[in-house]
Amino acid sequence: MIAALKNRLARMDRIAILAVPALVYMIAIFAIPVAGLLLRSFSGPDGFTLAGYVSFLGDAFNWRVIGNTLRVAAITTLICLAIGYPTAVALSRARGFVQVALLVAIILPLSVGVVVKAFAWQIVLRRDGIVANILVGLGVWDTPQLLLFTETGLVVGAANLFLPFMILPIYSVLKLVDPNIQDAAATLGASPVYRFFKVALPLAMPGIVSGSSIVFSLAVSMYVIPSLLIGDRFQTLATLVGRSFLLMRNEQLGAVTASVLLALALAIVAFSSWAVRRKGDSR
Amino acid sequence: MTLAERSATAVVWTIAGAVTVFLLTPLVVTVIVSFGSSAIFTLPPPGWSMRWYERLANLRGLSSALAVSFQVGLLATAASLLLGGMASIALARGRFAGRETILAFLTSPLMLPGLVLGIALLQGMRFAGLRDVWTSLVIAHVIITMPYVVRTLYSALTLFDFSLVDAARTLGCSYPAAIGRVLLPNLAPAFVTSGIFAFLASMDNYAISIFFTNAWTKTLPIQMLNYVEEQPDPTIAAISSLLIGLVLVLLLICERVVGLRRLAEI
Amino acid sequence: MREGEAFLDIRGAEKSFAGNRVLGGVDFGVNRGEFVSLLGPSGCGKTTLLRIVAGLLDADRGSVRLAGSEIGNLPTHKRGVGVVFQNYALFPHLSVADNVAFGLRAQRRPQADIAPTVAKFLDLVHLTEMAARPVRGLSGGQQQRVAVARALAVAPKLLLLDEPFSALDRKLRETMQIELKRLLRDVGITTVLVTHDQEEALVMSDRVAVMSRGAIEQFDRPDAIYLRPKTPFALGFVGHSTRIVGKAGASSDGTLAIETPVGRFFAAASFMGGAPVLLAIRPERIRINAADADANSLDAKLTELVFQGSKVHLHFTAGDAQTLLVEAAQIPPNLAVGDTARLSWSYSDTLIFPHDGTLQ
Repeated sequence: MIAALKNRLARMDRIAILAVPALVYMIAIFAIPVAGLLLRSFSGPDGFTLAGYVSFLGDAFNWRVIGNTLRVAAITTLICLAIGYPTAVALSRARGFVQVALLVAIILPLSVGVVVKAFAWQIVLRRDGIVANILVGLGVWDTPQLLLFTETGLVVGAANLFLPFMILPIYSVLKLVDPNIQDAAATLGASPVYRFFKVALPLAMPGIVSGSSIVFSLAVSMYVIPSLLIGDRFQTLATLVGRSFLLMRNEQLGAVTASVLLALALAIVAFSSWAVRRKGDSR
Repeated sequence: MTLAERSATAVVWTIAGAVTVFLLTPLVVTVIVSFGSSAIFTLPPPGWSMRWYERLANLRGLSSALAVSFQVGLLATAASLLLGGMASIALARGRFAGRETILAFLTSPLMLPGLVLGIALLQGMRFAGLRDVWTSLVIAHVIITMPYVVRTLYSALTLFDFSLVDAARTLGCSYPAAIGRVLLPNLAPAFVTSGIFAFLASMDNYAISIFFTNAWTKTLPIQMLNYVEEQPDPTIAAISSLLIGLVLVLLLICERVVGLRRLAEI
Repeated sequence: MREGEAFLDIRGAEKSFAGNRVLGGVDFGVNRGEFVSLLGPSGCGKTTLLRIVAGLLDADRGSVRLAGSEIGNLPTHKRGVGVVFQNYALFPHLSVADNVAFGLRAQRRPQADIAPTVAKFLDLVHLTEMAARPVRGLSGGQQQRVAVARALAVAPKLLLLDEPFSALDRKLRETMQIELKRLLRDVGITTVLVTHDQEEALVMSDRVAVMSRGAIEQFDRPDAIYLRPKTPFALGFVGHSTRIVGKAGASSDGTLAIETPVGRFFAAASFMGGAPVLLAIRPERIRINAADADANSLDAKLTELVFQGSKVHLHFTAGDAQTLLVEAAQIPPNLAVGDTARLSWSYSDTLIFPHDGTLQ
C-alpha cells in the first residue's frame, strides 16, 4: 500500500511540488474563506436554512437590484465589444509610432486607479461638464443636462474603465492570425462582407469570448464606479453587498447577496470557458 | 481595395482614434484640473496654479496612506512573484493531471467580485484570530497580485526554451542553481512586467482593502475616496496626476526593458 | 571497470511515458574514445536514451555505467556528461565567452583557470575574435561551435550530440560534420551522436546503432550497416534498395534459390524451404546490360530517369508491378525511357530477410 503510493509519487512529475506552496496559500487564504462565506449564507440559528435566500429572493427590491446589475453589465459589455473590436483590429494593423501610441493609450489608463478615473468622470459628466457643453454646442441638447448620477453616466464610466480588458484579449488573438488568410479568402472569391463573417470573426472569436467574459464579470462586480458615478439611489449587487456589511452590518443579508453575486460571476467564468473549449473542439 | 474595404478601414481607424481620446479623457482631465487655480472644477480652468500640489505636503493622512500602500504592494508583489513564479514553472513544465484547473484556480480572484473576496477574507482572518491590520492587508493583497503574476509568468514560461535549463544542468548546475542562473535572467522582463502589474493592482485595490483598514491604517485608494467624499477639491487631482506621472515613468522603463508589446500580452 | 564492461555501458534500459513503452530494455555500450551514432526515425527512443544518459530523464529500469561506476542515480550536474543540444540552447543573456565559461563558473573551478580555458576552447573552434559578442547575432554554424566549446570546456567524460546539424543548411552541414569529427578526434573524447540523418551517421561514426521502436536493430560499423543490414528496418532506413518478395526454394552449398513473380534468383544464404522471404539489392550494385556470368538477372523496362548531378537514378519495371531502382554514375548510352534492358547483380550482393508480409 505504502509502496504503491510511493511508486505513484515517484512517477508523478517531481516538478509539481513547486506548485504546492502557492496552492496551499490560495486554498487557505482564498478558497476556504470563500467556501465559508457560501456556507454562512445557508446557516441560520438552527443550522442549515434557505431562509436568507427565501427572504432575499422574495423581495422585489432585490430583483430590481439583480436586474440593474445584469443590465448595466450587459450594456457595458456590448459597448466595449462594439468599440473594442475595431480598436483591436487597428492595433493589430498598426506599426511603429502609431502602434506604440495606441498601446500607451490602452495600457496607461489600465494602470491608473479607479478612484482617480471615477473622480475625473464626475467632472466631465457634470451639468457644466465638457460632454454637456459639447452636446449643447452640437444642438443635440437645448439646455445642459446632468449626466452624472444617471445610468448613462455609469455605463460611460464603466466602459471607460473596462475597455482595455476587451481590446487586449482580442488583440492577442488577432496578432496570431496569419494575414495571408484574409488574402487567401479573397483569392477564393469571398466578398469582404462574407470574409468578415466567415473568416475574420470566427478567427477572433476566442479573444471576443474571453474579453467579453472578463468585462462582464468585472462589470457585474464593480463597486467604486457605481458608488461615485450614480450614488445610493441605484443599487447593484456589489453596492448592496458593501452596504449590508459596511453600513447596515447585516451579515446574513451580505453573505446571501455576496453568494448570489459570486454565483453570477462563476457562471460567467464557467460559461465562457465552456464556450472557448467548444469552439476549440469544433476546429 | 474595393469601396467596401476602404470604408471598413476608415471606420476602424475612426473608432480607434475616438477610443484613444475616450480612454485618455479621465487622465487628461485630471492633470488639467490639478493645475487649475479654481477650487471648483471647471474646464478649462480660469487660471493656472500649483497651489493644489503645495497643499499635498501638509494633507492629513496622505503620506501615511501612501506609505502603507507602497509597503503592502511591494510585499504582496514579492510574495506572489515567489509563490506564483514557482507554481508557474510547475504548470508550464510539469506533466501532471489537473494543470489547467490549478491555473484557472490561481487566476480566478481576478474574475471574482473584489467585495465578496474582501468579506470572505475578513471573516476568514477573524476566524483565525488575526487582528493586525497591516499583516491582514499584506496577506489579502497576495490574493490580488497572484493572478497577474501567474498569468504573465505562465505565458512567458510556456514560450521559454527549457533546454537552456537542461544545458546548465549538464554543465554542472543543480536544478535550483540552473533556475537561478539561466531562467531568472532570461525571464527578467516577464518578472518585471508581471511585478509592475501586480503592484499597480495592489496599489489600486479598493474593494478588498476596505474591509481591512481602520482609522489609523488606510491604503491610498481608501484615503483618496475619503477626500473625494469629505472635501472634493483639486487636491485629489494633484495626487492623481502624480500617480499618473509615476505610472508613465514605470511604463517608459518597461518600454526600455521589455518593449510595450510584451506588456499587452496580459 | 568490470570485466567486459564498455566505457559507457547501458544494460536493460527501460522507459515508458504514460504507459507507452519508449525504450524496451536496451543494451548499449560505447568504448573509450569511440564515436558512436544512435540512428533512427523520430519516436524510436534515441533521444530518450540520450536524456537518460545525461540524467535529464530517469530510466524506469536498467543501469547506466560510465567509466566503471554507476551514474544512473546521480543528478545531471554530477555525471560529467556534456551535451550539445539540438537548438544549441545557448544562453541568450550571456556573451560567447561567458557561455563557454558558464560550466567552469558553475563548477567553481579556480578563477585563474577560467580565462585560459575559455581562450583555449574558443581558439579550438575558431571563435576567438567573437568572444565578446552576444550569442544572438551568431550564424547557425557559429552557434554550433559555441555549443561544442561550452560542452567541452568543462572536460566531460562523455559528449552527447543531439541532432546538432539539423538547424544548419545542407552545404554547411557537410563541412561542419567533417570539421566536428576532426575536432572531437583531436580532443579524444568519447561521443554519442543522436540523429535521424543516415548520411550524417555513416559519415561521422566509428559505429552506428540503428534504432526502431525502442530497440537497437543493429549495432555495427557504418559499412557493415550499409552492405550487410541485419533487419529489413536497417535496410530500409539506411540507403535506398530494391525489394522483391518471394519464397525460399531449394538450397545447396550455401546457395539458396528464391522463387519470385519475376523469376528465380540465388543468394548466399540458407533458409527453410517455402518460407516467405524479402530479397533486396542496393541500387548501385545492379548493372545494366553487363555480360555477367554467375549472377542474378532479369529483363526490365526503363520507366523513368532521374538525373541527380554526380549520379543517375533509373527506375525500371519488371513483370506486372515489380519496380527496380538502379543507381549509375552516368546515363547509360543507347538507353531511353521505354527501352528494355537486362539488369544483373551478383549472388553476394543479394540480401535476404525473413518476410512477415509487410513492406516497410
